[in-house]
Amino acid sequence: MSTSTISLDQLIAWLSRFRDLVTEKQSYLTELDSAIGDADHGANMVRGMNAVVEKIGAEPATAADALLKSVGMTLVTSVGGASGPLYGTLFLRMGVNAGPVTELDAAALGAALRAGLEGVVARGKAEAGDKTMFDAIAPALDAWDVAVADGADVAAAASVALTAADKGRLATEPLVARKGRASYLGERSAGHIDPGATSSTLLFQALVDTVSS
Amino acid sequence: MIGIVVVSHSPALAQAAVDLALEMVGETPPPIAIAAGAGDGIIGTDAVKVAAAIDEVASGEGVLVFMDLGSAVLSSTMATEFMTTTDEVRLTDAPFVEGLIAAIVLANAGASLDEVDREARAAMGAKQSQLADQGGAPDAVAAAAAPAAETPAMDAPAADSASADPTEVTVEVPLVNPDGLHARPASLIVQALAGVDAKLTITDVTAGKGPVSGNSLIGIMSLGAAKDHVLKFTATGGSAQEAVDTLVTMTGEGFGELAS
Repeated sequence: MSTSTISLDQLIAWLSRFRDLVTEKQSYLTELDSAIGDADHGANMVRGMNAVVEKIGAEPATAADALLKSVGMTLVTSVGGASGPLYGTLFLRMGVNAGPVTELDAAALGAALRAGLEGVVARGKAEAGDKTMFDAIAPALDAWDVAVADGADVAAAASVALTAADKGRLATEPLVARKGRASYLGERSAGHIDPGATSSTLLFQALVDTVSS
Repeated sequence: MIGIVVVSHSPALAQAAVDLALEMVGETPPPIAIAAGAGDGIIGTDAVKVAAAIDEVASGEGVLVFMDLGSAVLSSTMATEFMTTTDEVRLTDAPFVEGLIAAIVLANAGASLDEVDREARAAMGAKQSQLADQGGAPDAVAAAAAPAAETPAMDAPAADSASADPTEVTVEVPLVNPDGLHARPASLIVQALAGVDAKLTITDVTAGKGPVSGNSLIGIMSLGAAKDHVLKFTATGGSAQEAVDTLVTMTGEGFGELAS
């Protein structure tokens, strides 16, 4: 497989791999969420991504925008928790930004992910350090952009993005949550890694697994 | 009438809250739709369901959306991007149960989206003034004191300052029903005044509370007026006399709560 761009089939493989990873890590996500949330993040993400894989298998999309829009809407209607509108918005905005193409280069995929993140911010009003998915995705995309400016292809950009996402995820541990259910805990939310930042890191892990294989 | 949408993680919670609120109004309630739960029996919220509920109750006069918490808020904001209606849609931060009850009563009386939303947001006022002496967290006590005074229902002109109005009518009458001005009589007053050309305020003369607007369920309830307290009705406007007469009659009949 080519790694300089990502094809429609690879986007589908990426989503499928993300489903596999959240399934694999379901109990870990649940464990993180039971510490500071309502212990449903693992189950919600698995249910949502199972619905996504089923949907895009049943109604194959012919362009990136249609595919990503379908993913977003499926998450909105199947997740139930706050991850539904947040991940749903991420994919819907990615789709709008990507447009009706069948292939994305590193810059285009980075721009689509950036648009998705901006949607998440608009939806959830999260800022850096609020102990949310933003804290994994934002540094990942910053690293992505730097790599692309240096001429990186999708595989290389995804690799540095994953490293940055994981670093951002681990850095949520000492933070006091300021958004969502965890924020009700105040200071007691410190000392736990954020489950949303963790599932977002898996999104980059899935991308690396897909474009590097 | 405006439409009302109730968004909850739990269909049972939403239905029960709506049922409770409907106890306060007659047989032709305002359009209400519930958007609760996600997927197959999952506790959660779904923006697509919320958008469909908004479209269902929109009839040109606006839609007020009540939410429980968390993802209900995110799903409702997202729903405003999915809905097809061009009605004004307002997501209210009013308390779920108290706000919904206040809103249904006022919406049923034909009030505008702005009026209903304002009343719903002030809906903690009655409970806060009832519980103001219960200690609790310092913040809560401070908050209880402030909204009770700031409740829009309390904005009505003070009886004295309106005395220059030639249409002003004032009557004092004792409360005779055993339970005083609780939710049901308060609801009856709001509904009796709906569409009447009069601004009417109610003061609990005995307790020295008020005046509050006769159009505000929560305002009337916040008086906490008990049996034998003297109420003062002050009205201005073209139908001031009629409004006061109606309330005097209703009060004298104990709002239908006297043992026959």
